[in-house]
Amino acid sequence: MSTLPKLISGFTVIPVAYSYARSTHILYARAHLSKSQDVVYPEKRTLFLVNIPVDATDREISLFFKSSGTVERVVYNRDSRDEAEAEAEEEEEEAEADIETSPPLSPSPSSQDLQPRSKRKQRPTESASPSVVPLPPISLRTLRNTGSIAHVIFLDTSSLEKALVPPTKPRPWPSSSEEPQGLAHYAALYDAQRPPLDVVKAHADTWMERFEFDLAKTKQKLAYRKGEAIVDDDGFTLVTRGGAYGQTLGGGVGVASKAFEKTSRTGSKKKKEPKEKETFYAFQKAEKQRKALLDLKKNFEADKARIDKMKESRRFKPY
Amino acid sequence: MASDLKRKREDQLPDDDEVELDAETAKKHKLPTGEELRTLKDAAGLYQSSSFKLQIDALLPNVRPKESRKAPLDQFLFILRSHLLSLPPIKPQHPLVAARTLSESGVAVPFALPHPAQETKWTVAFEPPSNMHVVGSWANKISVKKKDGKYFGLDLSIEMPAVLSVPRERLLDARYFHKRSYYLAVVAQSISTSFEVDVFYGAALNDPRQTFIVLRPRKGASHDFSKTHAEIHIIPALSSSHPIPLHRLSPCHSNVRVQPPTDALLSITNSSTPIYNTAILISTFPKISLLSTNTLIQSSPTFRDGHTLLRVWANQRGYGEGALCIHGFEGKGLWWASVLGLLLDGEEPVSAVGKGNASKKRSVGKGLSSYQLFRASLDFLAKQDFENAPAFVKSANGHRYSPEEYPSNHSAVFVDATSTINHLVDVPFTSLDMLRYDAQKTLEQLNDSTGTDDVFADIFLRDQTHLSKRCDAVIRVDLSRASKYRSTFEFVEHGTSDNALLAAISRILRRGLGDRVRALAIFHPSSNVRSISEMSRPPRMSVIHIGLIYSPEDAFRLVDHGPAAGEQDTEVAKEFRQLWGPKSELRRFKDGRITESVVWEVKTSDERAHIPAFIVRHLLHLHFGVPIADIKTIATPFDVKLRLPDHLASLLQHVGATGGFKAALTAFDGLVKNLKALDEKLPLALLNVSPVAEYLRYTSTFTPVPISLSSSLALPTPLRYLPQIPIILEFEKSSKWPDDLRAIQKIKLAFFETIASTLMTASPGLRAAVHIVHSCDSDIQDHASLEILTPEGWAFSARIWHDREAVLLERLASPAQTPVTPSPQPSKDQRMARRALDVYTRRFIHAPRHHRAIATLVHRYIAYPGTVRLVKRWLASHWLLGVHVSEEVVEIICARPFVGNGVALPDTAANAPRSKERGFALVIEFLKEWKPENPLFVPLYEDNGPSIEPSVVLQENDVDPLSVKVRVAIQWFGLVLIIVTCSDFSLMRIDDYDIVIDLDPTVLPRYHQNIDADELVWSKSGVGRPTDGDAVSRPGFDPARILLDDLQSTYSDTLKFFFDIYGGHRIGAIWLLNVSRTRPFRALGGFSSIPATEGGKSNEKDKETPFCSIDSPYWTRLNDT
Repeated sequence: MSTLPKLISGFTVIPVAYSYARSTHILYARAHLSKSQDVVYPEKRTLFLVNIPVDATDREISLFFKSSGTVERVVYNRDSRDEAEAEAEEEEEEAEADIETSPPLSPSPSSQDLQPRSKRKQRPTESASPSVVPLPPISLRTLRNTGSIAHVIFLDTSSLEKALVPPTKPRPWPSSSEEPQGLAHYAALYDAQRPPLDVVKAHADTWMERFEFDLAKTKQKLAYRKGEAIVDDDGFTLVTRGGAYGQTLGGGVGVASKAFEKTSRTGSKKKKEPKEKETFYAFQKAEKQRKALLDLKKNFEADKARIDKMKESRRFKPY
Repeated sequence: MASDLKRKREDQLPDDDEVELDAETAKKHKLPTGEELRTLKDAAGLYQSSSFKLQIDALLPNVRPKESRKAPLDQFLFILRSHLLSLPPIKPQHPLVAARTLSESGVAVPFALPHPAQETKWTVAFEPPSNMHVVGSWANKISVKKKDGKYFGLDLSIEMPAVLSVPRERLLDARYFHKRSYYLAVVAQSISTSFEVDVFYGAALNDPRQTFIVLRPRKGASHDFSKTHAEIHIIPALSSSHPIPLHRLSPCHSNVRVQPPTDALLSITNSSTPIYNTAILISTFPKISLLSTNTLIQSSPTFRDGHTLLRVWANQRGYGEGALCIHGFEGKGLWWASVLGLLLDGEEPVSAVGKGNASKKRSVGKGLSSYQLFRASLDFLAKQDFENAPAFVKSANGHRYSPEEYPSNHSAVFVDATSTINHLVDVPFTSLDMLRYDAQKTLEQLNDSTGTDDVFADIFLRDQTHLSKRCDAVIRVDLSRASKYRSTFEFVEHGTSDNALLAAISRILRRGLGDRVRALAIFHPSSNVRSISEMSRPPRMSVIHIGLIYSPEDAFRLVDHGPAAGEQDTEVAKEFRQLWGPKSELRRFKDGRITESVVWEVKTSDERAHIPAFIVRHLLHLHFGVPIADIKTIATPFDVKLRLPDHLASLLQHVGATGGFKAALTAFDGLVKNLKALDEKLPLALLNVSPVAEYLRYTSTFTPVPISLSSSLALPTPLRYLPQIPIILEFEKSSKWPDDLRAIQKIKLAFFETIASTLMTASPGLRAAVHIVHSCDSDIQDHASLEILTPEGWAFSARIWHDREAVLLERLASPAQTPVTPSPQPSKDQRMARRALDVYTRRFIHAPRHHRAIATLVHRYIAYPGTVRLVKRWLASHWLLGVHVSEEVVEIICARPFVGNGVALPDTAANAPRSKERGFALVIEFLKEWKPENPLFVPLYEDNGPSIEPSVVLQENDVDPLSVKVRVAIQWFGLVLIIVTCSDFSLMRIDDYDIVIDLDPTVLPRYHQNIDADELVWSKSGVGRPTDGDAVSRPGFDPARILLDDLQSTYSDTLKFFFDIYGGHRIGAIWLLNVSRTRPFRALGGFSSIPATEGGKSNEKDKETPFCSIDSPYWTRLNDT
C-alpha cells in the first residue's frame, strides 16, 4: 500500500484496514469549504469525507477519528439533491404549521438521519392533540449507497488539521459497535419488523385518534360546510373536481373528474355520419378497386423483399 | 353536389398528369397486369399466404439436384451401360464354390438367410443383363435431397436375363435371393476392377434380400461425377418375361419352409410370408413404377413440387434416412409418391360387395397447387387408419390379388397403383402411429398460424428429430444383451435378426401400452453402406430409442384390466397372461368385477408419471430378456432436482409433517374457514381470501412442507427454511374507511392486530404477528402484512386489499390539475405515489389475476406445472431466477408451448407436451431461438377467443441478462440433442464472475435446497452447535436473500449480482461496463474507489480505478460466524 499517493486533487487519502479482510478501503478527506447557503457547517472544524463505508455508523466514524480529536456530530449527505431540498421545505412547513411545539416524544438516539421514518412519527404535536405511540424504533445500521459522502464536525479546529495529516499506514476500522453486524443484523431486523401486538394496537389507535382530531380541526378552520357552494367576494362560485364517492370535499360545485373526461364518453352520443358515401359513384368504386389491387401488389412486393432478405441469410437450406 | 363532384374530378386530374410524367412513380402506381394479378391472387388463395408461397419457392431449388451438373454423371452412365452389357457369362456352379472364387478377388456374396449349404443341388450362374434402365425418382426428376448431406440416389435397374430364373422352387428358401446376390456380386466385382469409382453394398434396413450396389465418385478420377452430388444404386430386377409364377406371391402364400419343424407353435399355422413375398415382387417393380409415377407427373403439373414438400417434411421428421430415423421408412421413397398418387387418382374400390365402399376417398383433383397437395397428403396421413382400413391406389387393371387377402396377412396395407406390392408391408403400426401424430401436429400448426414465417420454418426448415422435444418419454435401450431367440421363421421372413426383433418389440409394446399412448416409435440410425468384401453387416444394432407420446387421459392409469374371471381359459385370457407374465393377477375390484389385471404400484406422484416407462421396461425385460440396467429413461434425474434431500424428507416425516401441494391447499382452506369464523369480531365482513402463491398453484419448484414450531427448533439451521405463502384479504366495501392513504395503512394495522389476537385465542397453537417493513421510505405504500403460523406449521402472510387506494394514488400521481404549466419533473410526492401505485397494482390486481390464469392452466395441462418447476429450477441454478427473471415471467414463458401462438390449444391438441421433460426441452429450445428484442405474446388471461391486444409483453430490459445466459446454456442443450441429461443443472462456472462472495452454508436456512447440497453441512452443524443460541423459529427468514437485496440496492450503479435463490451459498457479481476502467477522481462518483498508481509517470492525473468493495465488514461477517 506504500505506492498509494498521499493526496489526490486536494483530498487526503486515508487507507482503512479491516481486521478480518485482506482488502483495504480508501477514505478521501478534505477540509470543508462552504459554498452553498442552504446547509451550513462550521468552517475550520468540518471534515469533508468521501467514500465512507456503506455501513458506517456515527460511533464508528467518531472512534476512527478519535486520535485526531472529539467528533461533535456526523452528517451524511444524501446524494439526491432535491430530496434534501424537500426535506428542508418540509421542516419549514412544519415549523409554520405548529407554532406551539411540544418536545418530541422520545428523543432519537443518535442521529436523525438514521431513521428517516421515525421523524414523521415524532412530529411535534399540538399540546391539546392526542399523542401518538410510536412503533419501536429500529436501532440498526443503515446502508448507504456506495461511495457516499459525509461531513464530520469536530469540537475544535485543531482536530481537523490532525485528521488531515496523511497516515503512514492503513488504520484499522473500529469494529466494536452496539449495532449488530452480519447475520445477527438480519436476525435483529427480522425480529424488529415484527413488533409486539399491543404496541401495534396502541400505535394504530392513537394514530387514528390523532388523525380524527386533525381532520376535525381542519374542518373547523374551514368556513365551508358540506354541500354548500363556495362563493367568493366577487360572486364567483368555486368549481372543483369530484372527491370520494362523488362528494366534493374541498367545497364548491363538483364536475366530472379528468379521467372520466378522457374516456370521451361525455358529450353527445351520436356519431358523426361521414359526409359523403364512399361507394356511390362509379368512379369511387373504380378507385376503390384500383386501390385494393395496388395494395395487393404492394403487400406482395413487401413480402418478396422480406423473403429475399431471408434468403441472403441462407435460411432456406433445410438440412 | 354536382359541383362538388366536379371539383373533385379537377382535383384529381393534375395528379394523374404528374403520374404520367414521372416514369418511376408510374411503374409503382401501374395496375398489375392480368398475368401478375393471377399470380398475386394465387399466392394468397392457393397457398397459405403470399409469403408462404414465396418461401416455398425459395426452398424448392435448394433440395433438388442441379440440372447443370448432371452432365458428367450421364457420361459415366453411358460407359457403364456398355460395360455391363458386354460382361462375359459365367457357367452355372455350386453357390458356395462360386462364392469362394469371388472372395478370392475380395468380393463377398451377400447371401440372404437361410444361407446355402454344402448339400444344395441348385447352381448359380451369370449372364450379362438383358436390359438397363434409370428408374425411380432420378428418372422422374423428383429426387429430393437427403439429410446430413447424403448423396442423391440414382437407381439403375439391371434386368437379369430370364434364362437365369427357373420357376417354382426358386421361390422357396430364398433361392431367388441367392441367385440375385451372386449376380450382384459378379457385377460389383467387375465394376470395382474396371472403373475408378468406390463400390459398396447397401441395403435398406440391412436386409440382405434388398442388397444393391452403390457406386460413389472418386475425386479426381477419370469418371468423376462428384459435382452432381449423386451416387448410383445398381438394383437387379426381373425382366418382364421372367418365368416366376406371380400367383404364388399373393399375400396369403407361404414361401418359407421352416427347417426344424420342432418349432411347433409357428410352423403348424400355415403362416403367410408377406415380407418375403414382397421382397421378390419388388424385383419386378422398378420399371412399372417408373411408368406409373410418370403418368402422375404428366397428369398433374404440381405433383413434383407437392412431392418435394412432402419429402422435405418427412425427412425433417426422420421418416427416411438419418442418424435418428423412425423404424421402417428406409428405402420407402416410392411410397411417398404413391401417397400423392392415391390423392390424385383416388382409391380402387375393394370389391363390389365391400363394406366401406361409400367412404372411399375420391380424388382431390389435379388442379391443386403444390401447397394444397402437400396439405391434402398430410390430411390423408393424419386421418388414415392403416390398421383397419387398407388403402388401394386406383389401378388401371383392377386388383391383381384379392383385396381381402391383404388385411388378414399383412400388417398395414397400402397397395400401389400397379397393384403389385404393398408398400407398408414391413412398416410397423407404431411407426405409422407416429406418422399420423406428426401429420396431425403439422396440420394444427397450419390451421392456427398467425406468424407464417415461424410456421414455415417449423414445418420445413427446422430439424424436428430431437427426441426430447418430440416425445413425452424417451427410453434408451441397449439391445446388445437382448435374448437372441426368435423363431427361424421370423428371421427368414424379416430378413435379419434385427428387423425381426424390432418388429416383435414394436408389436408387443403397442399391445402393452394400448391407449396410454397416442403414438410410439422406435428410433435408430439408418443403415449405411458397407464394403463389398463384407458379406453382411455386423448383425446387431446396439442402441435404439423408444419415444412415447402420451395420451392425456389414460397415460398414467394405475390398472390395466384384462378379461374377466369367467373367461379364464379363453384365448384372450391366455394372451393377456402371456403378455404380462407374472405381473398379471386375478383381482377383485370395488365394483364387484373379478378380472385378470395388472396393477402398477407407485408411491409418489412423480413415480406415477413414469408408469408408461415402467411398462416398457417390464415388457422388454419379460419378452426380450433385456437387462433392466440397459433400459434408461431420462425422467428420473429430473425428479431428483425437484425433490428435497431424502435426509430432510425422512426427518420431517419423523415429525409427522405431511407436505405437498394438496396439503398446502387444505391448510389454506382451513385458514380461510378460520378467518371467516371471525366475522362478528371484525368491524367489516371478510369477503374474499385469494391465494397468490406459487405454492397454492402447483408451480413452486419444491413442494411446500410445513415445519411446526417445535420441530423447527429441533432442525439444524440449514434445514429450517419455511416459505411463507402470500394471500390477500378483501373486506366488504364501507364508507368508513378514511380518505387518506396514510390513515388507510394505519387502519390496516388495526385490522391485522384484531385478526391476529382473535385468531390466536380462537385456535391455540397458532401464532400470528404483524410484519411492518420499515425500510420502504413512503408511508402511503402498502407495507404491512399479517404473518400466521398454523399449528401444523404452515406459514401464511396476508395482506389487505382496499380498492380505494388505487383512486387516491392515481389522483396523487397524476400531474397537477391546472394544465397551464406542466411541470417536467414529477415532484417527490408524485414519484412516491407512482411507486406505491406500482406496488399496489402488482400486488393486488395482477398477482391474483395471474394466479387464477396459471391455476387454470395447471388444471388443463398435466405437464404444465412440472415444466414450470423444472424451468424455475434450471434458471435458478444459473443464478437468474428471482434476481433477474421473476417467477411469474417464468410461468408465462412456460405456458407458451401449451397455449400456442394465438389461440389456446384444446386439451387434445397434438402440439401440447404431456410430460414435464418435453415441456422443459421445448421451453429451453424456445429461449434459445428467441431474440429478446421481439416482444413475446402469450394469450394467457383471455379466455374467449383470440385477443387483439397482447396479454403479456416482455420487453427487452426485462430479460437482458437472460439472453446472455441462455446463449451460454444453449451450448449445454447442443450436447444433449438426443437425450437431455440432468448433470447440466450445475453447469454454472464461477469463474465467469468478477466477484464471488462465499457464504457460510451452515447458517443459511435454505441451504438444503441447494442444487448440490452437501449433507455434511447440516449433519455437522447439527452436531457441532447445540441449537445456535437463539431458540426462535423465523418463518420465511432468508438472510442470503436480504443480503442480496441490500447489495443490489447499495451497488446498483456499480455491479450486477447473480444468485441462486434456492439455497445458493455464493453470490456472483460482474462489473457494469461503464465502471471498469480508470478515470479522473470525482467526489460524488457513486462508487468505491482506490487511487490508481501509474508506474513511472507522475500521479498527478488523479486517476482511480473502481475498487472491489469486498472489504465491508457487513457481509464478510456472514461468512465469519
